[in-house]
Amino acid sequence: MFRFDRVALSNVGAVSQTVLFRKARLGNGPYRKIQIHNMKKKGIIKRIRFHGRGGQGMKTASRIVGTAAFVEGYYAQDFPVYGAERRGAPIMAFTRVSDAPILERGIIVQPDINIIADETLLDDNAANVLQGTGSGTITIVNTHYGSSHVKENYSLNGEVATVDITELVLKIINKPALSSVAAASACKLTGMISKDTLKVAIVKELEYINLKKAVIDKNVEAALICFDNTPDCSNIKIKHPEGYVENKVVSLEYAGPRVGSPSVYTMGNTITKKTGSWRLFKPAIDYDECSRCRACFVHCPHSCIAIDESGYPQIDYENCKGCFTCMDECPKDVISREREVRAW
Amino acid sequence: MVKEMLTGNYAAAWGARLADVDYVPAFPITPQSEIIEVLSKWINGGAMDAIFTNMDSEHSMITAAGTASATGTRVFSATSSQGLLYGFEMLYNIAGWRAPLVMINVSRAVSAPITLEPDHNDILSARDTGIIQIHTETCQEVLDTILMAYRISEDERVLLPVLINMDGFYLSFTREPVLIPDKNEVKGFLPEYAPRHAFFKASEPMAQGVAVLGGSAYSYFKYQLHLASLNAIEVYNEVASEFKGVFGRSYPAIEGFMMEDATYVLIMSNSFTIKGKAALKVFREKGIKVGLLRLRLIRPFPNSELKRLLSKKKAAAIIDQNISPGSGGILFKDVSAALYHETHRPEVLLSFVGGLGGKDISPEEFNYIIDVMKKSVDTGVVPETQILYTENDMRQMNKLLKVAGKTTD
Repeated sequence: MFRFDRVALSNVGAVSQTVLFRKARLGNGPYRKIQIHNMKKKGIIKRIRFHGRGGQGMKTASRIVGTAAFVEGYYAQDFPVYGAERRGAPIMAFTRVSDAPILERGIIVQPDINIIADETLLDDNAANVLQGTGSGTITIVNTHYGSSHVKENYSLNGEVATVDITELVLKIINKPALSSVAAASACKLTGMISKDTLKVAIVKELEYINLKKAVIDKNVEAALICFDNTPDCSNIKIKHPEGYVENKVVSLEYAGPRVGSPSVYTMGNTITKKTGSWRLFKPAIDYDECSRCRACFVHCPHSCIAIDESGYPQIDYENCKGCFTCMDECPKDVISREREVRAW
Repeated sequence: MVKEMLTGNYAAAWGARLADVDYVPAFPITPQSEIIEVLSKWINGGAMDAIFTNMDSEHSMITAAGTASATGTRVFSATSSQGLLYGFEMLYNIAGWRAPLVMINVSRAVSAPITLEPDHNDILSARDTGIIQIHTETCQEVLDTILMAYRISEDERVLLPVLINMDGFYLSFTREPVLIPDKNEVKGFLPEYAPRHAFFKASEPMAQGVAVLGGSAYSYFKYQLHLASLNAIEVYNEVASEFKGVFGRSYPAIEGFMMEDATYVLIMSNSFTIKGKAALKVFREKGIKVGLLRLRLIRPFPNSELKRLLSKKKAAAIIDQNISPGSGGILFKDVSAALYHETHRPEVLLSFVGGLGGKDISPEEFNYIIDVMKKSVDTGVVPETQILYTENDMRQMNKLLKVAGKTTD
């Protein structure tokens, strides 16, 4: 069931939606009336950072928010940062929304809104999903656990809320595509974007990536539910450290070739990286029915199936990514799919 | 005219589309592939009337671009870092052929070490090829510059290819609002290419790119190329002025920001300039009179404009997002050479190298730059090239060095 943990955000009161109209001039064209919610003063900027794995939709989420902000009449900027471009690799995406021209570019080091779409990234040192969280940051973690569980296990600043958006999208869209719901949460938290605009933005961005109308409609449905259940946090004051942070310029000395050249002397440590944490569904073999044909073993693209002394396939669950090639290839259909929820 | 959220790459594709180009030889490379992907989609779907050819490498691609231009077609292409370098000898060739065309370089720091993030060593390596270079700061500017670049390139006083630089990731993959000009307005500003020196016509056969033996002949054509490039300053100014008249957007060869009463000046280029502008606002609030110059036209180098803008300023700091190892920042050399004999040149000229491989230039590094400027003015002692690297950078680096087994602690 979809549930939004409200405990961590209990200090946020209901905010009255003050609606103001502003005329916006777009180039040489005619004036256009646009509606801005909760406009109090100039110089509002919201910095949103999305964390996810390649394929989950965080880039699209950042674009949905960017488009929504643009349609609402704000200045907007969005972009992704990949590193190694492959499915499952940690990625970040960013959106900046402001009522004034945005004089910033690049990675958002201190987010106001920090969306972590994949809870397994919390343990990934390279992904560093909690860096830069300040006392005004709202972090949303996609997990079935409550926010207290996150707070007890990880150190971060600011507010935390948890929401199981994977469950929500599996229920409504039948696919673990998180873009629209992550975007919906972010939009609501900015306090600057309306439901109608969010809908327009979702349709636009999902059409751009050639999704069918039926799928887009389901995305909108899930997103609107998420939007309604996300508390309005526009009242939370951002208390990031002002300007100067102690970080002096250092003088670099010559380090010699063994240190100063881009090479690695330690043994490869890929083997310590357990990719089993990427799974949402787990393959299970019915050994009563298995005929030991080895089709699954041969086809597993990650070499995660071994044959034991009795000739039966054994799945390495520490590394199995849940691609289900084995299930697709099994001629007897003895492999099934089980929903797996992370145990920490 | 329509306003849309576009990435720098998409804006570049729109520039080529509005310029009504005839031929796009292509080869992919991160971070520019999106440009040619979009163009191929448009050409295939009929939205653009052009020919698109997948080449086997950037060397072939640049050759194809130059030779196609020599037949009288309007050509567009795009590349980056390793790709630009792969076709390097052909860059000199197409300029030497006097083949007008526009090519985008999406800047990416050059291997080794391998990275995908931006700096300017790739584009600046081409500064001696004879190709005109313009560097951009925003996605809007990318689109607009393509339109201006064809005018400059095809002008009879110039007839040289143009390389337009846009930062990888910071512009190429970043979406921001871009005004897409109306097709008919563009047609009025940028008419069809009408070549008089190089074209393919059966009744008027000619030989292009002929071999020259003898120093006098070689020198003659090379000097002509140099003179053409110098002409491009005047042509650039004319075209930019006309562009402003038609489209309302202004792009001087050097952009000045808060310069009127400035005593200290930061000199930057490309998308990181926005960080300088943000830092400036903070300094101004503290009462420090800092201004900023953004170098846009790099080749030809706008000497007189630079001299005029820096006249009577106390100090200038050039922040190079590039490095010539063993020497220092590249643009610093162009700036100092321009100012050497100027009576009212700044008394202090400082060189900073930062942002290599896309490393951030933080507010703390800007503070450092201003401190060094002030100290140099007060003491009269001007330090050598400063490389920008912070405690945080070093801390992160030490962690990585340890994991890689390169340090003993």
